[in-house]
Amino acid sequence: MKKALVAALLIIISIPMLIAVAAMPPHGDADSPVHTHVSARYIEHGEEEAGAENLVTGVLLNYRGLDTAGEVIVIFTALMAAFAVLITHPGRGEESGPTTAALDPEPGTEPESDSKAPPPISPVVSFMVRLLTPFTTLFAIYVILNGHVTPGGGFQGGAILGGMFIALTIVLGEDKVRTLLPRRAAPWMQGAAVFAFVAIGVIGAATTGYFLGYPTDASLHLVRELMMVVIEIGIGLGGAAIFATIFLQMEAE
Amino acid sequence: MSLTFDILLLLLLIVTALAVAWTKDLLAAAIIFSSYSLMMCLLWQHRGAPDVAMTEAAVGAGITTVLFLVAIGRTTRREK
Repeated sequence: MKKALVAALLIIISIPMLIAVAAMPPHGDADSPVHTHVSARYIEHGEEEAGAENLVTGVLLNYRGLDTAGEVIVIFTALMAAFAVLITHPGRGEESGPTTAALDPEPGTEPESDSKAPPPISPVVSFMVRLLTPFTTLFAIYVILNGHVTPGGGFQGGAILGGMFIALTIVLGEDKVRTLLPRRAAPWMQGAAVFAFVAIGVIGAATTGYFLGYPTDASLHLVRELMMVVIEIGIGLGGAAIFATIFLQMEAE
Repeated sequence: MSLTFDILLLLLLIVTALAVAWTKDLLAAAIIFSSYSLMMCLLWQHRGAPDVAMTEAAVGAGITTVLFLVAIGRTTRREK
């Protein structure tokens, strides 16, 4: 009965969705709304106006910079929400060790992955992570710094950086990796994206009169690129720190 | 050829999506969901959105899977 109800509900919901998909213009149609309004201007003048060879970055950081700033703030807020849910002990860390040991009297039930007794890591995994770390870091930096030229950018590079941090934490343990994200610097790094956006936005407001305004003069191409790179670095560091802290927070007792 | 590849990827997407919903073993479901993200990433790339493809690969297949695995490790592996 319940299963039939769920199936019927799914079918009823899927019908309007399929109708909506069928009503979409065909892929690559020149008359579709996405191709008739602003995108023609973006494609024609985007490179000299926005100052980024990668049009996606140009739209994200320049034309739609305020939207991206809002997105960054949303991600930062999501981190705070995750903290609010995940923090169970206010004084987490060192003093929580003995309490969990006391709470876990039978050892054979669940292999707990806390920092006191880490589960054995396969030497293959350990070796591969150690071997790949410099290359992954280099790739992440490349993706972040080249976001305005090639596909990618701060968010993608930050995710790669954060993933690398998580892999290192699994292999080396939290204590060794903590030096990369010290407790005192962590809040600043988590907010790096917001800070970078606000800083560039205020600089733009001071020089052009608009928040997140970029200098439009053609000779200031390098300045625009530099502003974008600063935002990309901020998003990259901030994203990596946020991913890493969510992971550490989930792992912590 | 290009269309065949797209259709193959879309079919695999549907298969993996159903498999995630049906699997009772949450660890297996997380891994299948990661492969779903991989299909999605290939599809983005093939449809000409490399920026989104990179995000999907790094966030969808990478970070979310790890977070799912941590969550499973801290709760229970079987769906009740």
